[in-house]
Amino acid sequence: MPALEYSPLVESHFTHPVGAGSWPAGQGEIAVGEAGHEAEGVRVRFEVSVRDGAVTEVRFQAFGCPHTIAAASWLAEHLKGRPLDRAMPVPILELGGILEVPTEKRGRLLVVEDALHAALAQAQKRQV
Amino acid sequence: MSRPCVYMDNAATTPVDPLVAAAMMQCLTADGCFANPSSTGHAPGNAARARVEKARAQVAKLIGAEPSAIVWTSGATESNNLAIFGVAHAQGERGRHIVTSRTEHKAVLDPCKQLEKEGFEVTYLKPGADGIVAVEAVAAALRKDTLLVSLMHANNEIGVVQDVGAIGKLCRDRGVLLHVDAAQSAGKVPVHVGEQCIDLLSLTAHKIYGPKGIGALYVRRQPRPLMLPMIFGGGQEWGLRSGTLPTHQIVGMGVAYEIAARDLESDARRLTGLRKRLWAGLEQLGAVHLNGHPERRVAGVLNVSFEGVEGESLLYSLPGLAVSTGSACTSASQEASYVLRALGRSDQLAQSSLRFSLGRFSTEADVDYAIGAVTEAVRRLRGLAPAAAG
Repeated sequence: MPALEYSPLVESHFTHPVGAGSWPAGQGEIAVGEAGHEAEGVRVRFEVSVRDGAVTEVRFQAFGCPHTIAAASWLAEHLKGRPLDRAMPVPILELGGILEVPTEKRGRLLVVEDALHAALAQAQKRQV
Repeated sequence: MSRPCVYMDNAATTPVDPLVAAAMMQCLTADGCFANPSSTGHAPGNAARARVEKARAQVAKLIGAEPSAIVWTSGATESNNLAIFGVAHAQGERGRHIVTSRTEHKAVLDPCKQLEKEGFEVTYLKPGADGIVAVEAVAAALRKDTLLVSLMHANNEIGVVQDVGAIGKLCRDRGVLLHVDAAQSAGKVPVHVGEQCIDLLSLTAHKIYGPKGIGALYVRRQPRPLMLPMIFGGGQEWGLRSGTLPTHQIVGMGVAYEIAARDLESDARRLTGLRKRLWAGLEQLGAVHLNGHPERRVAGVLNVSFEGVEGESLLYSLPGLAVSTGSACTSASQEASYVLRALGRSDQLAQSSLRFSLGRFSTEADVDYAIGAVTEAVRRLRGLAPAAAG
C-alpha cells in the first residue's frame, strides 16, 4: 500500500474539521443534501442555513477518506457568507488542487460536490 | 508525538532478534564466515558451508524434515513461485489442473493466474465465512488430472489456520501433490511435514524475527517431486535454485528458527492472552466484527472490521499505532481486501478492517494503548459520519 500522505491543509481540516455535525431537527430553515454510499467508500451530508439570499452557516457529516472529510470541512468554512447563487467558492476540481488530492482520488470530490449541490438546490428552491 | 509508535504489524514483518543479528554479524567481515560456502576446497569455505548446513538443520527441525529437503530461496514469494511453477512446468504432461483458494497470498494466486495463461486450469476454492477451507471442498475439487493443491497454512490477513493435515492425507491418498505456504505459520503453530503429508512447504525468515531476503522451500525427499528450477546457474541447492548462498542470511534464518522452535509454545500462550485482551477491549466499542474463525488461528493475529468508519481515515487517525488496513486506499473505486470479500464481508466492512498482529516484543501496555487509541478514533469518525444509509 502506498504511503499515506496528506497536505498540511488536509491534516488541519481532518484533525479540526470546521462545521462538523448536524443541527437538531426542527432548527429553522435548513436545506439538506446527501450523496454517495458507504459501500462506495464515500458518503457526505451537508446542511446549509440561508438568510437573505446568503449562506449563514454550513454543517457537514462525512464517511470517507481524510481528503473527503477535509474537502467537506473546507467547503463548510468557505461557503459561509457567500451569496446562494454563487455559493461555490471554487470549482470542485480546483479544490482538489488546493488540498493536493491525488488525481486518482479526485472522483470522491465529485461526491462531495453532489451533496453540496443538492443542499444548495434545496435552499434555492425555498428562496423562490 | 512523544510516544514511539506501537508496533502491531508483525504479520507484515518482525524486527530481527538481537541473537539472530549477532549470529549474522559473524558471517560478514574478514574475521568471520564470509567465504563462499560452495568453495569447499579451502577452510574458510568449509567453515561457511558448516554454518549453512547447521542452519539447514535448524530450519528442518522446526518442520520435522530432513535437512536435505530444505532448499534456500530469497523468501516465501520465491518459494511459492518455485513450488508452483517448478511442479507445473516439470509435470504438466501428467495433469494440468491445480486447486487453490481465493484467500491465498498473491504470491500463490498470481503464479496460478500465470499458469492459466499457459493452459492450466485452476480451481479457486471459496472458504467458509470463518475463513476455513473445508476438507470436503478440497476433496470435491480434485480431478483425475489434478497435479497440485496449493493452500496456505495460516492466512496472512486474518490469521486462520487451515487443517493442512487432513488436506495432506486426502491429497496423499489421491496421488496429488500438496504445497503449503507456511510463511505465517512456521514458528507460530506446529508444522510437521511428515505427519501432515506435505510435499512442498514455503518458509520465510522475516516473519519470525529473522532477516528479510531469505526463505526456504521444503521439498519432500522420498519420493522427490519432479521439479524444474526457475533460476539457472551454478547449480546450487541440488540444481533447484542457483546462486551464491548468502551465508549471513541463512545463518540468521537458522537461529531465528531455532529460537522459534524453543519458544513456540510459550510465545503462543502469551500472545493468545494478549490477543484476547485486545479483542475484549475493542469489542466494547460495539458494531465491530472479528474476521476469521475465533479459535483456529495463529495466536498473534486479530482482524477486526468496524461499522461506520472508513478504513483510510481510521488508519490516519492512529499515528501512534503500526497496524495494517484491509483497504487499498489509492483507487477511486476503493479496493477492499479480497480476503475479507471472499469471506462474505460487505465492501464497507472489508474496507474498514484493521489487522493487529502481535509479536514476541508486544506487551500488555501496547495492547491497552491500542484499545484506547482505536476506541477514540472510531468514536470520533463515527461521530463525523452521517447516519448509515438504508
